[in-house]
Amino acid sequence: MKLSKAIYISAVAVSFGWVVGCSNDDNGPYMNDDDGMMAVDFSGTYAQVDHLGRPGINTTLSVDMDGSPSIKDAHNTTIPSEMAASFQAGFQARLEQYHDVYALKLGLDPAAVDYENNILGLDAATLTTVLAADVLEVSPDLPTTYFNPGTDFDNDGRILVPDGDEVALTGRHPNDDIIDVSLILFFGGMEGTRFSGQDLDDDGMADLPRLTSDGVGLTATIATTFPYLGNPE
Amino acid sequence: MKKKMKYMIGLSAVAFVAVILVAADHIDAPSTAGTTADIADFYAFEPSEGSDNTVFVVDLQSDVLPELAYGTFDEDVLVEINIDLDGDLVEDRVIQAIAKEGRMYFFGPATPLQTGLNSEVYVDEALGDVEISGASAIVETTSDGVSLFAGPRQDPFFFDFFQFNAVISPELESAPGGFLPPEEAADTFDGANTMSIVIELPNSMLGTPTATNALGLTVYKTWVTTNKKQ
Repeated sequence: MKLSKAIYISAVAVSFGWVVGCSNDDNGPYMNDDDGMMAVDFSGTYAQVDHLGRPGINTTLSVDMDGSPSIKDAHNTTIPSEMAASFQAGFQARLEQYHDVYALKLGLDPAAVDYENNILGLDAATLTTVLAADVLEVSPDLPTTYFNPGTDFDNDGRILVPDGDEVALTGRHPNDDIIDVSLILFFGGMEGTRFSGQDLDDDGMADLPRLTSDGVGLTATIATTFPYLGNPE
Repeated sequence: MKKKMKYMIGLSAVAFVAVILVAADHIDAPSTAGTTADIADFYAFEPSEGSDNTVFVVDLQSDVLPELAYGTFDEDVLVEINIDLDGDLVEDRVIQAIAKEGRMYFFGPATPLQTGLNSEVYVDEALGDVEISGASAIVETTSDGVSLFAGPRQDPFFFDFFQFNAVISPELESAPGGFLPPEEAADTFDGANTMSIVIELPNSMLGTPTATNALGLTVYKTWVTTNKKQ
């Protein structure tokens, strides 16, 4: 009883002294606003609750299971340098599960329909290792493109197969179709078109599912000048 | 038997997420989904070809569904844009933004005193502040050539998200043809708004990167976090 009271008093004294100290200290967690009259309080410790690098990765490749702690929450509170070790295996399993789902819908053996190396030449383990470290890469001095699979950047007639001089993965602009790019990397195979609604027997009906594009483009208003996004609707 | 086992595992794992609303990062996880700290999206780009600036856009919250938190920046949520220069996936520079009394205050780019999951505001490295906008954009440009904005904007993210849920559903009759052709597909986020924080700054303030991407191009490796006051 006595001990806890003593601790309480000393804790109050310490925090009181700290507050007084800060209010007279230019290095304290306060800042004057424009007119210099009113102090703005920025004190406190802030703990991470959400994380985002590349769009759509945690949402599409993390799987939460009933009765287990949320992997999606864990992903949001893991630092990037530790993400690959924590999440790569789960991401790869998820990628294969997506292929199994479509094998079954097509009446095929799930064991026979697997991820194939994509347009970047990445196998499933390498792709999911890259994606597990959830960061967005942006180049300081190259044109921004998340990846535009329809553009022959170096005019060599090769659109989908990187040959060493493509400009890609240099940032994300609001008009980049990051969902289609992700789908192409997941389901497109070497040519980027593996599952793209092909009509194999020429009967006017698609024989393979359309998995490499969701079919939509930018609908919002964007601008070429700061702040680049349109007024709210 | 082995085949059937794999089928069952795949089916049960996918089933748990088949009905969850997912998007770029909108509403991505149970503990942040729909809260004021929910990161909707993140963009980083060169504003025009040949520019020496980089633009970062952080979108918080969304009104794509009626029950989500939307419309006010939470003064207890600190936004951090992290920049890794050397490719070790540890932040070397941090830009902070936090709302107070109708203004958004920016700090940095600062070399972090400590990396990881906990932060304090770098009050000694104030970058500038801007009035939080209403429907029209209010923009502040600092003497360092930094442009600042915070307020509601159209959400530029586009995704036929409802068809995506049908595509990943393990139900055999659910979207056997996959996504829809463009004439039938619909952007779920058409008409949605988000609470945006936009900062454009000279690359010289960020430092010189040595990290490279999968194609060997020199890049900053960046990510955004939200952090709740304890």
